Amino acid sequence: MVGITRLGVYFPRRRLDRGLLARAWGSRPVPGSRTVAAVDQDALTMAVDATLACVGEADPAGFDGLYFASTSAPYLEKQVASIVATAVDLRRTAAVADLGGSTRAGLAALRAAGDAVRAASLAHALVVAADVRLAEPGSELEVQLGDGAACVAVGSRDVVAELVSAASVSEEFTYLWRTDAQRYVQVADARFGNQYGVARDLPEAVTAALRKAELPPGRVARLCLAAPDARAAADAARRIGCDPTTQLLPSLQGETGLLGTPDALVQLVRALETAEPGDFLVVAAYGEGADALVLRATDALPGRRPTPLASRLADGIALPSYERWLRARDVLPADVGGEAVPTYIEWKELKQDIRLYGSRCEACGLVQYPQARVCLGCQARDRMVDAKLAKTGTVFTFTIDNLAPVAEHPMPMVVADLDGGGRIYLQGTDCAEGEIAVGARVQLTFRRLHEAAGNRNYFWKVMPV
Amino acid sequence: MKDKVAVIGVGCTKFGERYDRGYEELICDAAFAAYDDAGIDPEEIEAGYLGTYLPGAGGGKSATSLADALRLYGRPITRVENYCATGTDAFRNACLAVAAGAYDIVLVVGAEKLKDRGGRGIPRLGHPLLARGNTAPGLFALAANRYMHTFGLGRETFAAVAVKNHANGAKNEKAHLRNEITVEQVLKAPIIAWPFGLLDCCPTTDGAAAAIVCRAELATRFRKPPVLVKGAALAVETGKPYFDPTFDYLGFRSTQKAAAAAYKMAGLTPRDIDFAEVHDCFTWTEISNTEDLGFCKKGEGGKLAEEGRTALGGDIPINPSGGLKSFGHPIGASGVRMIYEVVTQLRGEAGARQVKSPALGLAHNVGGPGAVSCVVVLGNA
Repeated sequence: MVGITRLGVYFPRRRLDRGLLARAWGSRPVPGSRTVAAVDQDALTMAVDATLACVGEADPAGFDGLYFASTSAPYLEKQVASIVATAVDLRRTAAVADLGGSTRAGLAALRAAGDAVRAASLAHALVVAADVRLAEPGSELEVQLGDGAACVAVGSRDVVAELVSAASVSEEFTYLWRTDAQRYVQVADARFGNQYGVARDLPEAVTAALRKAELPPGRVARLCLAAPDARAAADAARRIGCDPTTQLLPSLQGETGLLGTPDALVQLVRALETAEPGDFLVVAAYGEGADALVLRATDALPGRRPTPLASRLADGIALPSYERWLRARDVLPADVGGEAVPTYIEWKELKQDIRLYGSRCEACGLVQYPQARVCLGCQARDRMVDAKLAKTGTVFTFTIDNLAPVAEHPMPMVVADLDGGGRIYLQGTDCAEGEIAVGARVQLTFRRLHEAAGNRNYFWKVMPV
Repeated sequence: MKDKVAVIGVGCTKFGERYDRGYEELICDAAFAAYDDAGIDPEEIEAGYLGTYLPGAGGGKSATSLADALRLYGRPITRVENYCATGTDAFRNACLAVAAGAYDIVLVVGAEKLKDRGGRGIPRLGHPLLARGNTAPGLFALAANRYMHTFGLGRETFAAVAVKNHANGAKNEKAHLRNEITVEQVLKAPIIAWPFGLLDCCPTTDGAAAAIVCRAELATRFRKPPVLVKGAALAVETGKPYFDPTFDYLGFRSTQKAAAAAYKMAGLTPRDIDFAEVHDCFTWTEISNTEDLGFCKKGEGGKLAEEGRTALGGDIPINPSGGLKSFGHPIGASGVRMIYEVVTQLRGEAGARQVKSPALGLAHNVGGPGAVSCVVVLGNA
């Protein structure tokens, strides 16, 4: 049986109250808030955090593939999947690829991973989708979007949701786009796009997938439709033959905003929070056509349910102003300067800096970071073995710095003792006042540390658990 | 080395934002004052040590700025750079050279023009990823926060140090900041790196200081009564204390070890010291230093300051000059400036800030933080 074995969702901790958008532009207030990436986050960093959430306590060496899907990858040339695979400590032999171009790339990646596992080309593959999509300031789309990431593992053992069937539709269609020269997502006529794009392509793909599974629409326990418009999704559900009020999973737009490539995967996580073994789930995503998958919850699901979205969304930090978000997205740039990381230093220290390994002294057992030849504790020479550091720990001491040249103040600097050994010193991020204190529990998160010489430098930071 | 080396001349520029003076001019101001103080012809100087963290524009990573400023050519001149212990370490190296019999007369200059290096003074030189985001106040604040957590004291205790050092500095015409301040002002100042507010921090300062040392037997030839070097020691610990899981962050082992070595060399104990110039880059640093130097027990440095025992009239005056906090902190110059202050005090020439008839004084720098410490004990002959 081939299907989904693990799931992880990541939302940035920052929230932008939609009222701040209405106040900024004098537009009609829309209730609720949307998730927004912090200044040190992008699709790459959130993909790492979502993948870490998905892998959990499993051995990363057990995954032999990773697909990264995004329409907002921070690199147009330079692979993101390989950075994600390195940061989560996959083997160098893992097959990795970036997918993009359309918000349905997340689900397309899942379909491809399922096919690869079914063909025994891959044994256990990770599919991660992340987006930080930027809309024109003041546009309606700006209110509707949200930032987030999701990761699912596809394999043939410990499957919680079996991949039953898949179908796709593809056709040139202009609804949402962004050229290589544009920063903001563009929207054509929404009424036309919803009626002749979303409400036509989604039903066609879903109906084909249901037919392959020999499943009548009435048997679908949960219909998850990733679409750029909630009403269009309801229209599509009706055309499929499903009841939008009982079978269609409500859009995430109100809670997080529309997430782009991770939207379908996040909806799948929500559906699996409550699905019963044997339930059929349909997940479909729109984008110049559509992809649709039929899944069936297995008996293993109740013991291995994903962490609920509600807990992933708890403890958000509301941004004090719209301008703070524009700064975070570099619409209002902050020039903090900095020097490039020489590519050879990055290469030499990949294991230490990105895979995050310290050294353990075989003579005295002390775990130390960064890696060293002579032991800090007993001065034993060349008795070190690699020691992978944990990504959780306790604050030994800290400061809240207002002086450092960073884009956002106050910035915590934290000395933390990691669980299982090793002391590390990192910038703090996404902290509410008072959360960083001596003895506080923290976790590591992958972030964009700084930008220099036209390149981006990524590293770990700490945030409250 | 005890009693083998004498300080025969000292000089110091006005410290502050010296937009009016270039780096080499500051060296001249300090060195000429030391020449006059000793009554020496520069031709007699056999070797030089330049303590500087960042040489002036065109000076390069060498000792040539000292040679060029003073036209002191054809002699060995060595540049010393060792974080904030740069100045005292330059002095220590000069003393070692004289004690070893290599030279009879050696000039030490500490100089820094931080204002020529942009607003923040110190460019970032660290690893491009590791420890990125650190600042000088932020690094010392890591220790201060752990110390506060452990000993349960508050910012008002730290403020006592700032108030005292500004009161001393106000009496010192060469000091950078000459305003007296109150505890309330310290507590209300904008936070730089918690728990340090602006008035917990030393300023970014330009300045230079000089000292001339010679073989003790030759010292009586010169103008002023000589001051003898009783002990001088440097200790180096990790420059990455934040990665050391064995470090308690309650004080600095480098200071403890350098002090023990200097006391041992001098055959003295902390009780014998009459006053000290200690490294107060931030208020907490002075409190911790008084403990690490043995003037009180660990955890009692705050009480020592609050009870006025480290004030000018106290039983162990600390930083009668005003310290880095008020006198200012041109990194490489600070340690030599401390030697200048200790010598001036021991000679009884300190005027309004004079400590009552001292016989033994101590100078201490710590940098890194905690990576390098240098302790020098001087005494009247």
